[in-house]
Amino acid sequence: MLAGIARLVARYALLAVAVVLLNFFIPRLLPGDPLAFGSGEGLDAATPLSAAAQTALRDYYALDQPLPRQLLAYLDGLRHGDLGWSIAQPAPVSGLILAHLPWTLALLLTSLAISATAGTAVGIVAGWLPGTFRDRALVTLAGLLAAIPEFLVAIALLLVFAVGLGWFPIFGGQTVFATPSENGGVLRRVLDIAWHLALPATTLTLVGFAGFALLARDVAAALRYEPWLTAARAKGLSEMAIAHRHALPNAALPLLTFFGLRLGAVLGGALVVERVYGVPGLGLLGFEATRARDYPLLQALFLLASLGVLAVNLVVDVLALRLESRSGTRGG
Amino acid sequence: MAREVARSAAVPRVIPRNEESRATGKPGLGGPRWFLGALADARNDTALTEGPGRRGPLFLAGCALLFGFALVAALAPLLAPHDPRLPVGPPLAWPTRAHLLGTNDLGQDILSQLIHGARPTLIAAGWVTALATLLSWLVGLAAGFARWAEGPLLAATDLLLALPNIPLYLLVLTLLGPSQRNLILVLALLAWPAFARIVRSLVIGARSAAYVEASRMLGASAGHILRVHLLPATLAVMPANLVLTARFAIAAEATLAFLGLSGNALTWGAMLSWAFADPLLFLRPVWPWLVLPPTLAIVLLILAVTWVGGGIAGGVTPRPRPPAPLAQDASTDRHGSSPRRTPARDRAAHAPPAPQWRATRRRRAADRR
Repeated sequence: MLAGIARLVARYALLAVAVVLLNFFIPRLLPGDPLAFGSGEGLDAATPLSAAAQTALRDYYALDQPLPRQLLAYLDGLRHGDLGWSIAQPAPVSGLILAHLPWTLALLLTSLAISATAGTAVGIVAGWLPGTFRDRALVTLAGLLAAIPEFLVAIALLLVFAVGLGWFPIFGGQTVFATPSENGGVLRRVLDIAWHLALPATTLTLVGFAGFALLARDVAAALRYEPWLTAARAKGLSEMAIAHRHALPNAALPLLTFFGLRLGAVLGGALVVERVYGVPGLGLLGFEATRARDYPLLQALFLLASLGVLAVNLVVDVLALRLESRSGTRGG
Repeated sequence: MAREVARSAAVPRVIPRNEESRATGKPGLGGPRWFLGALADARNDTALTEGPGRRGPLFLAGCALLFGFALVAALAPLLAPHDPRLPVGPPLAWPTRAHLLGTNDLGQDILSQLIHGARPTLIAAGWVTALATLLSWLVGLAAGFARWAEGPLLAATDLLLALPNIPLYLLVLTLLGPSQRNLILVLALLAWPAFARIVRSLVIGARSAAYVEASRMLGASAGHILRVHLLPATLAVMPANLVLTARFAIAAEATLAFLGLSGNALTWGAMLSWAFADPLLFLRPVWPWLVLPPTLAIVLLILAVTWVGGGIAGGVTPRPRPPAPLAQDASTDRHGSSPRRTPARDRAAHAPPAPQWRATRRRRAADRR
């Protein structure tokens, strides 16, 4: 068990190093000069930079030095939590990201929690009797939902519930220009934010639900014909007991693994959905950064997102290891 | 979205075919016919499955829709009433006889844009599917066959699978410069890992089969074994791969275009991106004409691909396994053609399509044992 955890940690540490190196090399190995756009050539000049500003940026990121030197400077910056300065906004990248992170986290956590539990429950119930109407309805609906890109689901919900029915706001994460009297009270503010985040969270929950439900359904449908479940049935156990004591513990493992694999996609979905609803989270930040060619910001966004996903996957894998060793499929 | 590429939806039943050939020791077709043969086999296999995998009206509707889209894409300049890039009418106009779907904020004809948008979408889907499939098979075959390549290739595959792709797309496409060509390249370079793993697992399943060992013993070269024995064993997942990758490509292309990363290409996603760039979009009375046509076009295309895929690659419902796997195992073992299976390995082999590739880690754990 401990050896297994140590192996996992080593594996993920290696992946993390790979991510950091990738993050360093992607901008440097791709063709082109990162500051070329700033010289104002062609239509590309989204953010014209003065010659002095360009030299300053070159110096700051050590772009004139040989690659190993640049790598050292980069790693040294990382060690101090220095992710560079934003090109488009006068602020350090780490500060910008920290300021926008809570919105994305709120969206991610609520939608993941709801979609994972509800999706798993519904999927298992449907998959327990494969081929029935209930099962086919779930597979058809969830299949469609999982196939359509998140931003279209977001647009559909926006059109119906915000534009059409007017139940929810169309844009933004909270009421802007709220007068001081309206702004009073923490509760009111929380409610206001919840009201604004309701549709984006629902979008992510729906899409996530489809994924989890389909997987749980497949897992349950596969388990159903396992010989050891037939044995349990032959012993005269009730279906309830079989589902709870025998099927669920075995279904937990693939579902857990799937949760980890799925995280990157859910995160990506959250970023895109934020753009549709104008939630001021990391997605909107990244979207604006692509407009302004704010490379340091995009780089930091990618680095943090990858490291975050890796960290969660490490936790998931350790949990899976525990589950496995407890159910005795893997000794140690 | 993205890593959904190989959404369980439609990985066909490949295992029975392998087991069958393993049991009978039949090497499959040689020569150039093996490709078509294997494709046909895969299709026959799945055509028999019950459930939504059957070819029904949905499959036909999907084919008709796809054909329609392809026709529109091919004949776009003839069909479109106006030049999609020129301001040909008053801005934000309601539909009239001259502009059947109205005009956008620049006075461009929306119907013409919609018609012209079909081509880049289909071209992008085609290229991404072709390139990603090629990469999946190259990497999968190499990782399954050449042991020295297995470690590094698997590490790269794992890394790409674990990375959150939207931030990666944002970074790489902004660095390369947003354009349709770069978008295709980036999507193709990042879409192969899921199926590379599946191909590798199929190769691993086939490489220890008796007929492969016999062939090796008779002095067959590595290239011959790869071409005649191992490649055909993987081709059964090809239809599923094509459908799922194409669907992924369409969805991802639309998403990235919506985020403004397709340069100035005229696609449906870009139309939506332009519409949403207007902060007062929903205060304009004509907003439905700006938002709904491209949205419906994307959804219809994805549905068409899904329905066609359901017919080609088999349904979502795994055929319930006859509950007598023990006897089956014994018979294959008697032929001495399948390696001794641990229960876990057996489960992995019989797993329904979805977990088979998804729970790759579980599978690898089984391999290691």
